[in-house]
Amino acid sequence: MDSSASNPGVGPAPSPRLPRAYAVRSERERLLDAMIRVVAVKGYEATGVTEVLEAAAVDRDAFDRMFPSKEACFLEAYDAIIDVLVAHVSAAFESTVGQPWPDRVYAALRALVELLSREAEIAHMAMVEITAVGEDARIRYRAALGRFTYFLEEGRSFSPRGEELPADTAGFAIGGATSMIFDEVRAGRGEELRRLLPDLTYAVLMPYIGAEAAEREMRRVARGG
Amino acid sequence: MLEAVGAEGYERVSVRSVLDRTGLYRQAFYDHFDDKADCYLQAYDAGVARVEALVLQATAGQSSWVARLRAGLDAGLGFFDAKPNTGRALVVEVHAAGPEALAKRSAAMGRLVSFFAQAQPLGGLDPPPPIASEGIAAGIQSVVHSRLASRGSVDLRSLLPEFMYFAVLPYLGAEQARAELRAPGVA
Repeated sequence: MDSSASNPGVGPAPSPRLPRAYAVRSERERLLDAMIRVVAVKGYEATGVTEVLEAAAVDRDAFDRMFPSKEACFLEAYDAIIDVLVAHVSAAFESTVGQPWPDRVYAALRALVELLSREAEIAHMAMVEITAVGEDARIRYRAALGRFTYFLEEGRSFSPRGEELPADTAGFAIGGATSMIFDEVRAGRGEELRRLLPDLTYAVLMPYIGAEAAEREMRRVARGG
Repeated sequence: MLEAVGAEGYERVSVRSVLDRTGLYRQAFYDHFDDKADCYLQAYDAGVARVEALVLQATAGQSSWVARLRAGLDAGLGFFDAKPNTGRALVVEVHAAGPEALAKRSAAMGRLVSFFAQAQPLGGLDPPPPIASEGIAAGIQSVVHSRLASRGSVDLRSLLPEFMYFAVLPYLGAEQARAELRAPGVA
């Protein structure tokens, strides 16, 4: 590819030492970032590609080269958000290696709600808006939830009756927690998600270790945290 | 309306496609409904009422909370198995139908939560925190949602023992929960 090809709409030409692929990638990143910010404020339906282009300072041709549609761009942006969320939760989970599993779950949940409450608009987009975008979006949403099962797998060996637990235990636990977060975020209380932390801890632990143990853990980890 | 929404998705459904399914004239539609959204909201109410009536009917003859729970869940899941499009329209597509639909969904979930909260803990067990019933309703809702959304073969009734396990666990303890998991289901 001709590296001197004109690159309209990006503003100042990128440093000549950077390969063209770098500029393309950065246009893509700007578009994804702009898509997230605009949809978070306006909602998916009301968002036009034009606004995204303006926010990203990228021109229509560049957009069309990279994405077949607004939906495609949104879905890629959504995946990027989930990557960040999973990485953040994962870091908290991994930093507690060697501690009892309920403590690690608590650390992971705390990391999750702290990030979501800091970015309440993005949380609204990633949890509420996404379920309204259509079939492909819903597939991404379910795949995203599935990425959190990893943090619960250890619960089977921690639980005194791990072998007997139903097959869908992780789905049930994650679904319960997600649904509680969804209700808060939808009701516009995304910034206060931290208050939900003890309840979330209970909802995730209960299917694995039973009600009494889950309540004990909920109180213990909440005090310790 | 619910059949159409469940089959095509709320966004894609038009008044036209509802008319095609029902054989009604456009004028007849607008005699009853303002627009697609209005029609869906009314259909949602009617659909939820139908499921709740089935559940209530199934629980009527049962003497204990756990028997009512089993029969009620089985009736609800059985309805979704028989009418997966209606199930999708009520459980999955409601998310695409705007704030008013989501408020109706919250109200329906609230009734489901109180259904679980009617449980009396077994002697010797402390009552679980109020969040228990919310967690159970949300967990079951979520598993049903993902089954319906995936459009595969549904068979939600096969999940009854699992759901009973989770629902019974906080109120009646691990012994009873395990028994539900091994139970053959509703005769």
